[in-house]
Amino acid sequence: MMEARLLEGKNAIVTGCARGIGKCIVDTLAQNGANVWACARCKNDEFENTLQALSVKYHVVVKPVYFDLVDKDQMKTAVKLIMSEKKDVDILVNNAGITYNALFQMSTIDKINEVLDVNFVSPFLFTQYIVKLMLRKKSGSIINIASSAGIDGNAGRAIYGASKAALICATKSLAEELGDQGIRANAIAPGITKTDMLASMTVEVINETVMNTDMKRAGETNDIANAVLFLASDLSSYITGQVIRVDGGM
Amino acid sequence: MLLQGKNAVITGCLQGIGGATLENFAKNGSNVWACALTPTDEFEATCKKLAEENNVWIKPIYFDLLNQDQIKAALKQIASEKLPVHILVNIAGMTKDAIFHMISMDQMRLVFEVNFFSQMFLTQYITKLMVRQKEGSVIFISSISALDGSYGQLSYSSSKAALIGATKTLSVELAGKGVRVNAIAPGVIATDMNKVVPEDIIQGHIKQMSIKRLGEANEVSKAILFLASDLSAYITGQIIRVDGGIK
Repeated sequence: MMEARLLEGKNAIVTGCARGIGKCIVDTLAQNGANVWACARCKNDEFENTLQALSVKYHVVVKPVYFDLVDKDQMKTAVKLIMSEKKDVDILVNNAGITYNALFQMSTIDKINEVLDVNFVSPFLFTQYIVKLMLRKKSGSIINIASSAGIDGNAGRAIYGASKAALICATKSLAEELGDQGIRANAIAPGITKTDMLASMTVEVINETVMNTDMKRAGETNDIANAVLFLASDLSSYITGQVIRVDGGM
Repeated sequence: MLLQGKNAVITGCLQGIGGATLENFAKNGSNVWACALTPTDEFEATCKKLAEENNVWIKPIYFDLLNQDQIKAALKQIASEKLPVHILVNIAGMTKDAIFHMISMDQMRLVFEVNFFSQMFLTQYITKLMVRQKEGSVIFISSISALDGSYGQLSYSSSKAALIGATKTLSVELAGKGVRVNAIAPGVIATDMNKVVPEDIIQGHIKQMSIKRLGEANEVSKAILFLASDLSAYITGQIIRVDGGIK
């Protein structure tokens, strides 16, 4: 007997798919039967080949969509492209984001604006567009990738943390506004995860953070992708407005 | 099949969330020691049917959480099989609702005995096995009343809050040894426990939810399934609300 996959026949949009957590999310969603619009900033042959391979391997349709989150015209064009396919959108994963480490007093206005724009304003606007599509069918699951830094507050993470805290609050408001329309909204707060973003931290800080987790290891991108899968699927049908920490116990 | 080849101990399997969890675990390939208070023909038949349909084994085990000797005997029975225990789900619980000034200390102790002490006794024993295997997932069923407070539920909510402290401390102690510990905080779920709640109070709760309906036992069991499975491999020490977004 062929086992039913958790997201069989669902259509998902994922941002930030070129690498790290986003790349892994696309893989996991496709493996579980979802068709994916995989969003990335710029066209890339290797990326397209990867998506093509996923489509073949898992018998789904995984397509690239390109836009720069800071360019709202590009975003609009990308949304129109997705809309033109006239398919239902069941899942939205706002994963794309940038990191920034700077002491509070050293954070510059340009960086403050940039981090808030990419990590908060852009996913907010993008979600506004996509929710309209979800409302037609009165079902959907929105997953925002926040951060433990957006809950705990950490030295050197004032702006990054604030951008993720803003995303968390928007998630909760959205959940309350859309819950009776069949749309759920939740966030995931990864702790220290093995991605390129770690390059912005010193080895000492990484080791110290890892030793502070109950599990004494850093998270894998797969750990985050599996939590996304849970929130995207019907397994979480009564969960909305929540922030789930995937942090090995910090 | 999220739990293929796993062995689980689940308490409170007779009905409600426990019954749904037993079914979901079997469907996902897990073998189960299905714990219940007393044998009934219907329960035995359910276990047998689920086992056959899903090609797993389900062993009914009976004990009263108020009787430590019975718990011990049950644990010995499980240990004597010399099989790995991968998952422990502490579901069995009780409530005795009364406004604070009307609660007798005996009643409060009874609720804590069932909802907290007996679960600690059971968990102590099972996690010893898990630490030896260097693998395990323990799940407690707390409640949103432990986080938010709930009128007339002092004993219940306090005992469920104690489970949250236990979840976090056990995670700190055991996660480094391969054993994850998490809790679910269900909201208002359509179970027998809530059948006694007057309809106007239920409607009041629903108004405060984002998803405007009661939760189903099955929906809680699906979150338990997630925490039991490897999908949550990097999640420990967490309390996950399954509450339809109640405020």
